Amino acid sequence: MKPSDKRVSRRTVIASATLIPISAIQAAPQKAAPQAAATVLTSEQRRILEAFVDRLVPKDENGPGAVECGVAEYIDRSLADFLAPEKGTFLDGLAAVDAFARSSQGQPLADLSPEKRDAVLTAIDNNQVPNLRGFFNRVRRLTLEGMFSDPYYGGNRNFAGWDLIRYPGVRLAVGPEDQRMKSLPAMNHRSAYGGEHGH
Amino acid sequence: MATNLKPVDVAVIGLGAAGGVAVLPLARAGLKIAALEAGAWIPPSEFKPDELHNNIRRQVTSGKKVWNEIPTFRTNPNQPARRNAVPPMMNAVGGTSIHYDGNSWRFSPWDFKARSEAIKRYGPNSIPKGSTLEDWPLSYEELEPYFDTVEYEIGVSGKAGNIQGKIDPRGNRFEGPRRREYPMPPLRDTDFTDHMQAAAKKLGWNPHRGPAAINSRPYGGRTSCAYHGYCDIGGCHIGAKNSTSVTTIPAALKTKNLTIFERASVTRILTDNNGKATGVLYVRDGREYIQPAKVVLLASQTYENVRLLLLSKSKAYPKGLSNNHGQVGKHYIGHWAGRECIALFPFDLNIWYGAFSQNVVINDWADDNFDHSGLGFIGGASLTVNHEVHPIAAASIPGFGRAPSWGSKWKAFVHENAGRWIGAYAQCNTFPYENTYLDLDPEVKDPLGNPVCRITSGPKENEPRASAYAAAKAAEWFRSAGAIEVVTAPNPEGPVLSTHAVGGTRMGDNPETSVVDKWGFSHEAPNLGVLSGSVMGTHGSRNPTETIQALAWRTADHLVKNWKSIAG
Repeated sequence: MKPSDKRVSRRTVIASATLIPISAIQAAPQKAAPQAAATVLTSEQRRILEAFVDRLVPKDENGPGAVECGVAEYIDRSLADFLAPEKGTFLDGLAAVDAFARSSQGQPLADLSPEKRDAVLTAIDNNQVPNLRGFFNRVRRLTLEGMFSDPYYGGNRNFAGWDLIRYPGVRLAVGPEDQRMKSLPAMNHRSAYGGEHGH
Repeated sequence: MATNLKPVDVAVIGLGAAGGVAVLPLARAGLKIAALEAGAWIPPSEFKPDELHNNIRRQVTSGKKVWNEIPTFRTNPNQPARRNAVPPMMNAVGGTSIHYDGNSWRFSPWDFKARSEAIKRYGPNSIPKGSTLEDWPLSYEELEPYFDTVEYEIGVSGKAGNIQGKIDPRGNRFEGPRRREYPMPPLRDTDFTDHMQAAAKKLGWNPHRGPAAINSRPYGGRTSCAYHGYCDIGGCHIGAKNSTSVTTIPAALKTKNLTIFERASVTRILTDNNGKATGVLYVRDGREYIQPAKVVLLASQTYENVRLLLLSKSKAYPKGLSNNHGQVGKHYIGHWAGRECIALFPFDLNIWYGAFSQNVVINDWADDNFDHSGLGFIGGASLTVNHEVHPIAAASIPGFGRAPSWGSKWKAFVHENAGRWIGAYAQCNTFPYENTYLDLDPEVKDPLGNPVCRITSGPKENEPRASAYAAAKAAEWFRSAGAIEVVTAPNPEGPVLSTHAVGGTRMGDNPETSVVDKWGFSHEAPNLGVLSGSVMGTHGSRNPTETIQALAWRTADHLVKNWKSIAG
């Protein structure tokens, strides 16, 4: 731990916030802790999704990939919760990608080799398949969210996403030494929700 | 049946950046105020360093009103307007001043008289085609005392560039004269801010640290910034960001003259047959209430101000309140702002932490700070680079022609470079146009059955040119700073939804071309005042909040001084 981490603990910074009217403290209840992770995908849908995101961020010499980071878990939980309104569109998209894998490569996406999955996804990314580019971009976007959001949401497992991009982690107090250009602060593997949220 | 409440002196609709400051001079003067706020108090412990929660899902809001009434958008009157996914604002006591990034600027003297200045220097043909540009009915000098008051009441950190005419190159040398220094020095210098300032100075420019409504040292009984890096679109968990919820609103509450009604969604402003405002109708927890008041101050954000006036039809105002001249919704301005120039560096920038307003700003290419002869536009843009980059945003790095957007090569690229790129935030002077206005959407309604606001924003020539010019300047700056890739991507379309939306209830001397007078009171309903950016006639090349707050304070001050004539 760097000295700047010690100097101001979370407790002292919150205690020093004065002039907050008492009604502000009493008004709203604390946001509920994460639900016991409701999900919506069937095991078959989950396999398709994992086969997809595995190629967007593969496991390689730069560390764990999207599957190992829990991206599918993140997306699955989100579809049960914040992204519920887009669940139908999302499931249709997954089915369409799988159908294209079968028609173009002769097998379900999840049964294809990495090279053949890349061929499927490249064709979609290059807009060679009608109406699937938008879904591809959505999955890519949600993959970024699952890789690099707080582990609280089910992705970024063991902070592997933050390690990949060298984001040093949540710090509630940041001193001048933590803002130098020549040296990044140490990777602290801290979540916004206390303790170590890496599963 | 709506329940009638006890009358008050002043009903304030919306307790955000504008209403939140206006209540203080009113309360100090002894006026009894009822503030109707669609949101509620948010306890500081709810503010989290969480990019998904704050920036992506926009969950820092205590009410869903903003989600239920997201304005629709179209680029010409023959199109159906489309819905937008994310609201531009939030609901809470303190409003969007809770999650703004604290950039706290004064508009420049030029903004107040752009039309006459442009004609004087470049001739009448320099006025943008199709624009409805007018000078403001007041000058920077008239507003200066209120800027000063706001800066000291809420607390602003910065470096003056012009104290009573004496120029200090460490500050913004182009700013209007101010009576004294900021109450606090700028937020902390870093290697990054030093580096970007040096790069600009090499070009002969005048970089400086921007002003922030964030404590750089303890101020107002509150602590100083902890630089944790989740300021923008997030609330401050230690009260170091000077939102009205921790500054002017608590001070007004102390007088016992302010009563706050949380979760109160105002649906109509009520008027009598003579055209005077008599109070407001609001919905709270599913029940309707009428709050009678001698004076009504409308202080929600631009879109909602316009919507509420248009919804408040009556015998005296068949086309909407204060709209007998058809000016409500006209002269709307979506702020032309964005990061149209990005750069990749061969070294780590370490801008993960800090505050969004811990920045370096260039004003050399803003306003009329340079000669525009032959350029084909007036105005310009300020350029800002800043701290506070979050992980998902950083990992959304474009490939700069060096990497694909997925797969192992992308992964290697993002590993090296997610912390090595930035964009320059260019904020343009933006003007009102005939083809750009607000009205009520004929199809999309909120859950109470009231139409949402509809934006119509047609093509423009002046702003895209100014913006492209600024992007080219940003590219020069980045090269001077050692960038290895620089990409400019002009956005000729301009803004869709804008948290910096202004205009729509323009301030002016002429009721044929404006809605409120130079004091912010309606030309038609004498005891209705309008606060917020909706009264502005132009948008400056910088964030609008402090100018909104200075105007709000001035309107409240005018009301106090003229209580008898206005309240009748």
